[in-house]
Amino acid sequence: MNNSQTLLLLEDEPLILMDLEFAAEDCGCNVLCAATTKSALDIIEQHGDNIDAAVLDVSLADGHTCFPVAHQLKRLGIPFILHSGDLDRHNERIRTLEAARISKPAPVEMVIATALEQICVRD
Amino acid sequence: MNTDDPSGPRSGEQSKLRFDDAPDRFREGHKSDKFSGASGVLFEQAMAQTRMAICLVDPKQDDLPIVFANRAFRTLTGYSEEEIIGRNCRFLQGPDTDPEPVARIREAIAQEDVVVVELLNYRKDGSSFWNALHLGPIYNDEGELIYFFGSQWDVSDVRAARAEERHAREMARELSHRMKNMFAVISGIVNVTGRVRGIQDEAAEINARIQALGRAYETTLDDASSGSIEVGPAIRSVLAPYGRDEDRLELEGNGVRMPFSLVSIVGLILHELAANATKYGAWLQEGGVVNVAWQVASHSNELHVTWTERGGPKIDRDQIKPGTGSAIVDRLLRSAGGTIEREWNESSFKAVVIMPL
Repeated sequence: MNNSQTLLLLEDEPLILMDLEFAAEDCGCNVLCAATTKSALDIIEQHGDNIDAAVLDVSLADGHTCFPVAHQLKRLGIPFILHSGDLDRHNERIRTLEAARISKPAPVEMVIATALEQICVRD
Repeated sequence: MNTDDPSGPRSGEQSKLRFDDAPDRFREGHKSDKFSGASGVLFEQAMAQTRMAICLVDPKQDDLPIVFANRAFRTLTGYSEEEIIGRNCRFLQGPDTDPEPVARIREAIAQEDVVVVELLNYRKDGSSFWNALHLGPIYNDEGELIYFFGSQWDVSDVRAARAEERHAREMARELSHRMKNMFAVISGIVNVTGRVRGIQDEAAEINARIQALGRAYETTLDDASSGSIEVGPAIRSVLAPYGRDEDRLELEGNGVRMPFSLVSIVGLILHELAANATKYGAWLQEGGVVNVAWQVASHSNELHVTWTERGGPKIDRDQIKPGTGSAIVDRLLRSAGGTIEREWNESSFKAVVIMPL
């Protein structure tokens, strides 16, 4: 598989992030990694035009969530998927984002493939 | 004579408990209000006996004073009749009473409406209680508003129980989130290690098992306190990522439960069967169907799970050789005191798993 797509990965758990990153690189993607909402927003600010899709962890460290990032991506029309072990708790709010959801734990290949599918859906 | 004997003559204390004379005196003072005859007697006795705290408020007087309070009202609030009559109900409010329900009461009075609110009230001794207050207008035959009726019920216990339940649910969710995250981290470790050591295939195989286990436990936390979990949802979540729609995966079972100790075994066995179906069986080609049925046999305390594949590729018996997956299943079951019977036909495969509960 070869993609020259750029993926933004937001995940506060380094091992999961690394795993996702490898899987995305296997698919030939360029990868931008963020562990916090702030760094994700900074990356979007800098590379917004080049990002094709994003994978967002919902609950982040220190009580933060991916919602600010999700809203910013929505504004820019960049598709994203939610990857979380916390889908139940944020259920109501998550629905309003109208994004594909993958419950942890899931195979990383599937997570990346689902994110890439969103690009096709959009195009 | 033993005064506790209900058949004996009542002691002064007992007759006081039984007969509250406030309703009687109230009737005396409100003769024009039709509290006479049978309905008057009924009013008197019902008010005296009910454990529901009840008061009547006069809407014609300034500041809506209480004109009647039954015994339960006095017991609940700790005030005597003299201290209650003539005062507005707000004397039960205190520093921590939320103004929101109070405003709703005021609104209902203004609209002559019925309202039910919960608000924090205070007893004479300063202790507080949660009061479920029902308030509504009472009209006479001419349709004239003559009273507001208020019934009070101490719901402090109910509220405490609700708060506790909410807390427990929050804890279960937090735990569930952490657990799922933990499984995802373990997966990450296995994958990254596999990649670094150049054994990605093995790592992927290990990961598939870890994740099946994670999913089997996924449903357990919602009713963690019961010590057992429902079989159906666990089976459903283990098989979910194989992405088969209802046409390719049939599930048949009822609300049977299993103890926590069996969750991992059931989860791993189903994963091995599903992985096998994907690689060699019914899910290898179009139109192949897997049916999973579970039940507890009525004569014994055993969980039966039947896995049936049909419409798969033709099976060549000579090619069948036990793999790692089936070795794991066999060992797991042996240690749990269970059995598995595998049966191959033309293009179908059936496995019956029996586990003692």
